[in-house]
Amino acid sequence: MFKKLIDNAAARSPWLYHINAGSCNGCDIELVAVLTPRYDAERLGFKLAGTPRHADIVVVSGPVTVQSKDRVLRTIEQVPEPRVIVTLGSCPRSCNVFKGSYSVAGPLDKYVPIDVSIAGCAPKPEAIIDGLALATQILKEKREAMK
Amino acid sequence: MEIMDFVKYAVYILIFPGALFTCVFGLWLAGVDRKVVARMQKRKGPPITQPAWDFLKLCGKEVIVPAGAARLMYMAAPYVGLVSLIVTVLFIPIGGLQAFSAGGDVVVVLYLLTIPTLALILGGSASGSPYAGVGASRTMVSVMAYELPLILVLLAVARAAGSHVTMDGYSILGATFSLEMITRVQELIGPLLFDWRLLPAAVAMLLVIPCEVGQHPFDVGEAETEICEGPLAEYSGAPLAVFKLSHAIKMFVMTALFCALFLGGIGTGMLWLDVVLALVFSTAVTLVCMTLLHAISARFRVEQLFKFFWTVVSGLALGSLLLVWFC
Repeated sequence: MFKKLIDNAAARSPWLYHINAGSCNGCDIELVAVLTPRYDAERLGFKLAGTPRHADIVVVSGPVTVQSKDRVLRTIEQVPEPRVIVTLGSCPRSCNVFKGSYSVAGPLDKYVPIDVSIAGCAPKPEAIIDGLALATQILKEKREAMK
Repeated sequence: MEIMDFVKYAVYILIFPGALFTCVFGLWLAGVDRKVVARMQKRKGPPITQPAWDFLKLCGKEVIVPAGAARLMYMAAPYVGLVSLIVTVLFIPIGGLQAFSAGGDVVVVLYLLTIPTLALILGGSASGSPYAGVGASRTMVSVMAYELPLILVLLAVARAAGSHVTMDGYSILGATFSLEMITRVQELIGPLLFDWRLLPAAVAMLLVIPCEVGQHPFDVGEAETEICEGPLAEYSGAPLAVFKLSHAIKMFVMTALFCALFLGGIGTGMLWLDVVLALVFSTAVTLVCMTLLHAISARFRVEQLFKFFWTVVSGLALGSLLLVWFC
């Protein structure tokens, strides 16, 4: 019974950690818009965490530049299990207009498995909330698979 | 008879007003705080059960101990803090119900209240993270900032209540350090909040509470936007859950202490009704001194916090103490 309660809690209290992997800041602004009074993602329990140790969902934006690649991977490794990786916008998935640049090491799925990708350049806040809600369900499934 | 006493104290410690009740009520209080802050910002806000879900979720996360951490201290600190807070609750009268009482329990409470903060500082330092180091030193500054006005407030209340106690050994110096006595005096002369000499002390106490708890305008040590929640930066999983729980319980402990000092002795004669009334007062004090301040203010810088507490807040408390002593 206690395990089931904790499994349910995993979906109801997802804390976000946001990494900018060379993003143009467009997606980052849209993510902040999700937390404003108009969209208020906190009503679903979302909260921006200050450190990767507190996070459940890692949100990556940007095409993963050569400079940021190692930092992104190290940060993702520091997030305790169960964790879900969400890509925000087109860049981390396809490198978008930055594809082929000498300074881009992406896309992100060359290095880590991605659970949810939110498309758009930049995605609408509604799309972000939809993607994050999907991420909470995956979080719960991962938690149930633990132990 | 001895078995009955044993059962009675077991209930006091484990269920009410000890471990189980304080955890549940603390988390509920934290939920109300978050909800009301959200409503003040025109948001819908998380459900009131949100801190409880956060707690359960953190219990189910992986616990990571950093390679550079002092393992024993790192793992023990959150539990030491939690236990000392639960012990503190046993000494505070809630609507006249006090699990343990002693001649000088104001002093006991004062010392017990520093232990959770100390545990936070030690746990943070043990994690070996630079963020935690900065957070620990900032927390130490805020402890020094609020301890002085807190002691002055307690002295003022002790003196005001003690000047009415003449019949027994508690009042040799005309001051009583027994919370039970302070409550009983208030039954006779009415709540000390309505004593004009103690009004500045009550205001000072209302400003000390958010600093002691680490709530928004005074949360220099755990500033999540600057130093990643300071001492908690490296914590994950169950130890982090216990720290969050301690934070929630501290809200209840401090507001209950305020109610015992300034709003005691309001009662109907029925014990359970008095307890409910005290809990309602606790919630009201939380809303006034923590939620409202959180919603309307930005964070102090460290040196601003220190200056504010040692001039304005200490000044209020000292003024009250002098008034009580000489008027």
